[in-house]
Amino acid sequence: MPFIAVVDDEEPIRKALKRLLRAAGLDAEGYASGQAFLEGAATRRPDCVLLDLHMPSMSGQQLLAQIRKMAGRPPVVVITAHDTPETREQCLAAGAAAYLRKPLDDRMLLNAISAALSKSAVPGRR
Amino acid sequence: MAALLLMPARTWWVLLAAALPAHLLAELQSGVPLAMVLGWYVSNCSEALIGAALMRAFVPGPLRLDSFHSAGVFLLCGALAAPLASSFLDAALVKLIGWGQGDYLELVRMRFFANVLAELTIVPLIVSWVALGWRAWRSQPLVRHAEAVVVLLGVLGASLVAFDVPLFDANMAPALFYAPLPFLLWAAVRLGTAGTTTALAIMVVVTIWGAVHGLGPFSGGTPQDTAREMQLFLIVVSIPLLLLAVVLDERARTEREAHDQRLQLTHLSRVAMLGEMSGGLAHELNQPLTAILSNAQAAQTFIANKAIDDAELLEILRDIVGAEQRAAEVISRLRALFKSGETHMQRLDANELIREVMTLAHGDLVTRGIQAELRLAPILPPVKGDRIQLEQVMLNLIMNAAEAMTGPASSERMLTVSSIAVDGRAYLSFADRGPGFLPEMHEKLFEPYYTTKAQGLGLGLSISRSIILAHGGRMWGVSSPGRGATFHIALPTI
Repeated sequence: MPFIAVVDDEEPIRKALKRLLRAAGLDAEGYASGQAFLEGAATRRPDCVLLDLHMPSMSGQQLLAQIRKMAGRPPVVVITAHDTPETREQCLAAGAAAYLRKPLDDRMLLNAISAALSKSAVPGRR
Repeated sequence: MAALLLMPARTWWVLLAAALPAHLLAELQSGVPLAMVLGWYVSNCSEALIGAALMRAFVPGPLRLDSFHSAGVFLLCGALAAPLASSFLDAALVKLIGWGQGDYLELVRMRFFANVLAELTIVPLIVSWVALGWRAWRSQPLVRHAEAVVVLLGVLGASLVAFDVPLFDANMAPALFYAPLPFLLWAAVRLGTAGTTTALAIMVVVTIWGAVHGLGPFSGGTPQDTAREMQLFLIVVSIPLLLLAVVLDERARTEREAHDQRLQLTHLSRVAMLGEMSGGLAHELNQPLTAILSNAQAAQTFIANKAIDDAELLEILRDIVGAEQRAAEVISRLRALFKSGETHMQRLDANELIREVMTLAHGDLVTRGIQAELRLAPILPPVKGDRIQLEQVMLNLIMNAAEAMTGPASSERMLTVSSIAVDGRAYLSFADRGPGFLPEMHEKLFEPYYTTKAQGLGLGLSISRSIILAHGGRMWGVSSPGRGATFHIALPTI
């Protein structure tokens, strides 16, 4: 069962997304900040990261850059409630597998995760 | 003349024609010959027409005695030129028909003063009451009606004492003239033009009644002398009082308009600020919407797969309700801020206002990567103010602080909002870590249309300061360049 990390500073969002992923048969864990995620990832590496862009102290974009340097480079699906064309471009250029705008439609989200997981499984893409 | 002044010129012939039957009926009953009745009809119509046409030329549209200009035009055209011109015609007709006595110029003089007084009394009374309107009069508070009754009864009483009692001491006469004056001045200052013209009309009627019945100071001489003295007295009293009432009305209206414009500008500035916050506000609404949608879709899948128990379903529903309440709260605060309206002073908790505006600004701060810290006094005495206007000031300071912190690294972007109560005042502070400003720029920041933002109107701080001043408070900024800026608000506590 693929393990998805949900990184979002807002608890109600983490809770709702974890439920959604669990309902789709995925294993999910929530992290309230970039630091919390990096600590958690050291013990259990996620197969995919669902990453909110706007978080205090370490922003989603800063964390994305760090994840891209991590061993195994898990694919990152960026989610944001404040969408701008520039941010979208920057995230995709920084290596995000997908960029989705909140509120998230479940099919679109699961398709993006599934596509990210299958891409990351292709040798040489990591 | 009053009817003509209120109606379009194309309808004047109808009004003049309609006056003929009434004129005939009234005068013929008094035994006046038909030729004289028709002669007076012609001279009266000419007076009304001359006055109305002259006034329409200087003041287009229906006359409203609502400015010094329109009152001046009325006095010169309606109360002076028209009676003067028609008095010559009137006297000529009288001499021609042979109905009146005295020489021609004596007849002109008598008719002139009588007509001036009639125009001064009747025309402003009708015009000002029509301009005021039944609804505006009805909508006045009860206490205002009570005041009007007291003033008008005062004018009536003082006029009766002054002009309708037998004159027992001739030396008292000059003093008696002043008896109605306090009430007339009261009417001019407090009751507007309509109230003043009513008060004047009461005094005129009472004075004429006294003179006709040989009572009061206007008695004892020949009818012509008595009439002339009384008319001159009433004319001299009426003109300054009418002008005073109109000027005070005009000033009050100008102040009201300035007040309305200030409110509109404050509202427009608030709406512009909310427009600038639209990205952050969208974030603030999208967050709960995400929670609602994801929870609902998760529940749908769980139910379809029969993989959920009642307890978990209940928890999901509870979370949905919680998120909906959060979105509703944002929308309700936004609605309140978007609304325009009168200032509504009430008892407020400044800490609560800070928390409320921080909720609205949260999205904007988050998307700019700014951390916010609240250092609120545990006990803060309430302040008296307009909730929306004070929230506008706070939002303005928060948005300025956020704008100022686009330069520093995101880890240093910190907004600190504090409150403290000292010596009967609540001090609220908004500190940023932006570039700050030079001390000599301090006053410039509060000037209208001064802005350092690329797309700012430059009205935010100027309007904010005027709001705080109107609340009896103070607003200022402190900064050392390179070390951020702190804007302070001091409000009196209650």
